[in-house]
Amino acid sequence: MRFDTVIIGGGLAGLVAGISLQQAGRSTAIVSTGQNALHFFSGCFESMKEAPERLTALFAGAGIRVHYNPGVRLTPLGTFREAELSLEDISLFPEAKFADKALLACVPGYLDFFPAFLAEGLEKQGIQCRLCSLDLPEELQDGSVERRSVQLARLVDRDWKKIVQQIRLMIQDEDAVILPQLFGLQDASVPERLRQEIPARVVFAGTMPPSIPGIRTQRLLKRRYEVLGGTYLGGDEAVEAQVEGNKILSVRTHNLEAHALEASHFILASGGFFSKGLRSNPFRVWEPVFGVDVDFDEDRNAWYNEEFAGDQPYMQYGVKTDAALHPLVDGQPRGNLYAIGSVLGGTRPEFGTGAGLAIRTAFLAVDKILESL
Amino acid sequence: MRHQEKTSSKHNFEECMKCTVCTVYCPVLQVNPRYPGPKQAGPDGERLRLKDPYFFHYALKYCMNCKRCEVACPSGVDVADLIQSARIKYDHSAPKLRDRILASTDLMGTVTRPLAPVVNGVTGLGLTRSVLDATLQIDHRRVFPKYSGRSFEFWLKRRAKEQAMYLDQVAYFHGCYVNYNYPQLGKDLVKVLNALGVGVQLLDGEKCCGIAMITNGMSARATKNAVHNIECLRKAGADKGMKVLTTSSSCTMTLRDEYPKLLGVDNADVRDAVQMATRFVFERLEAGATLRFKPDYHKKVAYHVPCHMERLGWGVFSERLLRMIPGVEFTLLDSACCGIAGTYGFKKENYEAAQAIGAPLFEQIRAVDPEVVACDCETCKWQIEMSTGYSVQNPISILADAIL
Amino acid sequence: MDPREFDVIILGGGVVGAGTMRDCAMRGLRALLIERADIATGASGRNHGLLHSGARYAVNDPESAAECIGENQILRRIASHCIEPTDGLFISLPEDDLSYQNTFVEACRTAGIGAEIIDPQQAIRMEPSVNPALIGAVRVPDASVDPFRLCASNMLDAKLHGAQVRLRTEVTGFIREGDTIRGVHTRNVQTGRETDYYAPVVVNACGVWGQEVAQMAGVQVGMFPSKGALLIFAHRVNNMVINRCRKPSNADILVPGDTVCIIGTTSTRIPLENCHKVSVTPDEVTLLVTEGAKLTPALSETRILRAFAGVRPLVSDDNDPTGRNISRGIVCLDHETRDGLKGFVTITGGKLTTYRLMAEMATDLVCSKLGVNKACETATTPLPGSEGRSYEELARQIWEAPSTAQKAATARLGSVVSEVPKRSRQDEALVCECEEVPVWEVNNAFERMGVSSLTDLRRRTRVGMGTCQGEFCACRAAGLLAKAQDCAARERADLLKFMGERWKGNFPIGWGESLREAEYTQWVYKHVLGL
Repeated sequence: MRFDTVIIGGGLAGLVAGISLQQAGRSTAIVSTGQNALHFFSGCFESMKEAPERLTALFAGAGIRVHYNPGVRLTPLGTFREAELSLEDISLFPEAKFADKALLACVPGYLDFFPAFLAEGLEKQGIQCRLCSLDLPEELQDGSVERRSVQLARLVDRDWKKIVQQIRLMIQDEDAVILPQLFGLQDASVPERLRQEIPARVVFAGTMPPSIPGIRTQRLLKRRYEVLGGTYLGGDEAVEAQVEGNKILSVRTHNLEAHALEASHFILASGGFFSKGLRSNPFRVWEPVFGVDVDFDEDRNAWYNEEFAGDQPYMQYGVKTDAALHPLVDGQPRGNLYAIGSVLGGTRPEFGTGAGLAIRTAFLAVDKILESL
Repeated sequence: MRHQEKTSSKHNFEECMKCTVCTVYCPVLQVNPRYPGPKQAGPDGERLRLKDPYFFHYALKYCMNCKRCEVACPSGVDVADLIQSARIKYDHSAPKLRDRILASTDLMGTVTRPLAPVVNGVTGLGLTRSVLDATLQIDHRRVFPKYSGRSFEFWLKRRAKEQAMYLDQVAYFHGCYVNYNYPQLGKDLVKVLNALGVGVQLLDGEKCCGIAMITNGMSARATKNAVHNIECLRKAGADKGMKVLTTSSSCTMTLRDEYPKLLGVDNADVRDAVQMATRFVFERLEAGATLRFKPDYHKKVAYHVPCHMERLGWGVFSERLLRMIPGVEFTLLDSACCGIAGTYGFKKENYEAAQAIGAPLFEQIRAVDPEVVACDCETCKWQIEMSTGYSVQNPISILADAIL
Repeated sequence: MDPREFDVIILGGGVVGAGTMRDCAMRGLRALLIERADIATGASGRNHGLLHSGARYAVNDPESAAECIGENQILRRIASHCIEPTDGLFISLPEDDLSYQNTFVEACRTAGIGAEIIDPQQAIRMEPSVNPALIGAVRVPDASVDPFRLCASNMLDAKLHGAQVRLRTEVTGFIREGDTIRGVHTRNVQTGRETDYYAPVVVNACGVWGQEVAQMAGVQVGMFPSKGALLIFAHRVNNMVINRCRKPSNADILVPGDTVCIIGTTSTRIPLENCHKVSVTPDEVTLLVTEGAKLTPALSETRILRAFAGVRPLVSDDNDPTGRNISRGIVCLDHETRDGLKGFVTITGGKLTTYRLMAEMATDLVCSKLGVNKACETATTPLPGSEGRSYEELARQIWEAPSTAQKAATARLGSVVSEVPKRSRQDEALVCECEEVPVWEVNNAFERMGVSSLTDLRRRTRVGMGTCQGEFCACRAAGLLAKAQDCAARERADLLKFMGERWKGNFPIGWGESLREAEYTQWVYKHVLGL
């Protein structure tokens, strides 16, 4: 099969690149080893700095609304983190004291939401908290051991009106209501409807993964990509590349076996260690598909910070590239290959980290590909 | 090699990062609170079972082996294989355990009773019957031609000489469904392949691939069938380059992957020869072969990738093939389970739940409003037809319809 | 009567202290146990979890060997829920001297240890993971024991017999009247509250820290701390204990324990002041994997979960004034006869396997001092969780448990599982998914087992011991603990400390899957949760 561009990795970086290229009329395929880091997405872009309009437009096309509103986000443990851009249902506040009094709604028996920590964190900011319990839909009273965000999300989307009723009955003089981030998995409009129906500022506080806004984002971006004609090879793994000189000719995958994916351009958006974009053993760190150069310490003792909370050197490791994001092999750039997103680790600090890095490098690679005809 | 240069574990269970992604995509977990979910039943449970087989839990039987967990897993863990292997291992190696499973089942009678028909065993034909029984309540007989008494094998045997005239030959593993319920799909395949200059042979006495036996705890019988089928493939020359085509994604996955990974039946020499017909046809066309299409053909097609097709990773071939047909207005449906989850959705008691799983897919189909839904799996076909009223056809049948 | 007065005070919450407390309580003494940190934080919780048959000592230390086999048989009866009767193999590899096997088996038989030479092929059938190159194998009654569970059960039973425990309480000095110890000054390390406790006898069961404690009392006990490094593999590779049939050496024991297996150990003398913070070096990791792979080649390619180190409390031999000779056996010192200090006893040396015998010896001495004449019953009275149950009985219960969490909890709690209250169906939800610990088991630990931190919880329930190393469960448990203790601020700090403690054991083996896990954990905790 032949494409204009083959993208290795179907996370945020890969999907943004794929959608942009499809919009520009290029044919692309994405090879994705299972699902990706969007499932753990906080819903915020912490180092966006530029190009929000382009991102906003791309997301809007997929039916995802984001707002650019630099400020702080309330974390699941009641602390605040700076962010610039967020999904519509995630609130960014100019300052941490976003209300005077908050009603904090918890779901009995749901362990992945932390009202005690939230209340403590908010009270530190001078926000008085009152806890209340939501009545669960009947199904959840049963002794299911799996009680994660997704299981709850399906039910609260269906029963959101009942939850509004409960909140309306419980709310007193609070000017904010904090709900777990469980809404809008199937129906993206639910968070907004809750905001309209509840007579106070509604803030959705995060839960342990999987992230509901993240799953929704992944689903909508993937659908957008496929609607644009992109070929998403989910659950497949790129295993090797055929190379001629400094040019990648094709990539083989585990499922398609001998049936190689040929393309004029290739994008490596395979993520960091977790996503297996980078692999390691006691002796080295390497990039498994193209075997490009990786920036890491030869001495393994230098990989770690012994303090858990400290910055971890290994998280900085990534694929070496030139300024145009072409990965290097023995110092020589691979001309039709681009590395974007977390596989870069901290090698390109000017692009930020996390979701910001993913988006900005994706756009840069797309621009280079479109320039090159 | 140096120590720890790489690490490995059976079905990669130690690659599990406990990230919970599999639990997002498990269709059973969403509807059955008794099912511990793929993560717990698979990689988590495996560590306990390695400690002592007593940690094996009967609730693993709720896994319908759709493999969505494996497709979703970012770590490459063969989650469903772990679950099915555990069932196979602890059912056979410890017969006492088997008795105890039944004992526990009695204890949990109210839970398991709805599954009795599953436990009782479902062969390919039995499966078909129970499916028909379930679906007969809904008037969709137009898509289920009555059991004609004339099997596909009977039909093709009468044409064996004619098929042998083609220089290029493939064998066809038609499976139970084509043979007993829907010979038309086999006939469609013969039409398409003949148009490409390829003759179709039967295998010498294929048996049910055994997937339903595996998921229903009858692995000994499944293994017998597997050994027999692999031998059939060899006899047909699959080990010497003869392609064996199929039109069912579940049969294909079973022949290629379940035999070695779950049943321990070595198929290394014939595995690559087993291919979905859509892949074979697509590759022929890509290599320059041509088909003559009806000039005024028009059809609005929505393609649903069945769970096992997703696991094979070959939905792209059916998709591309359909897109190649002039006059096809193509929509790719979102990746989702139709809710049938093997036999789960056929139980009256599970009807609501199964429909809930499939609801987003059905809604999307209604919104697209296609003339036909394309799909490579027979159980999805029944479920979608029953739930939406839209006709479902194998991509090969759609192709056959579009060519002269 | 003054609530600060007891018949006996035991210092040290390891398995020997807990055992002594139980024995004292069962003989009718009012006992108090004081522990600076938590249960089994020293050598008790930092070892292989091997219930020795004694075979390892048979050739060089027949006395220890005989003690081990005796206790081994006793513990199988009284602590069945802490023990897995795995049996063990002593294998000879081509580079080993096979003639040692005869010496070994002869010594085992002399010590009363059932040792049976088996055909190498049979050994492979019994334990498929064993190095197939083996040239000889001996089967012995080794077993695997969960030291945390053992320690907690002893403490629980002592409490049921009226004893009291003060955890997180350190001894700041002794109350001394002339040549007699009358009690101890203590300080609660959390609240800073100071309390004096009185008793006619104080037992020093502080393991390697016994030297400092003895010094505080004004007597000398010479400890020779020896660090041992161990590796935990992420799942069970073997189901029998595997040893090398040769003179004891580094990394020659592989023990299956619960959901993991543990290879160890090394032996490095370290200064006493370093005992508080021992860590595993990269060289030790290499040594352990290399030697371990000789026992079981699969270790070469099995994911490592953690590295950890413990300190053996070796004691200098009183008969050797140079202090160079070390006693490997049990050391029970009556400081009255030895040093002229009345009311002070030190029990140290020994092994996890012989903890009960050590406790009995210490308690006998205490009773003789107090003039109590009551026989020891700990050898025949089962611990809570093991009442009237063989392992087979327990296995049947595990099998019949209605949920996977119930199965896992039954394996951990034994027969007391049925006494643990479940308040609602929501209590069935899992806190720790790797080790399958449900909410009700965690609540039970909070309420009945003196938990005040996540690390305490881990020792009692295995929360956080699984392959994710606390990624999900630590947070969930912290949420429950914050609620139970109504102090979110302290729990937030505790959570961070717990994750830090987990990381300490992870980074020495941080590659491959473990590094992936570490990155994911960093991501979740720093970016998503904002800890």
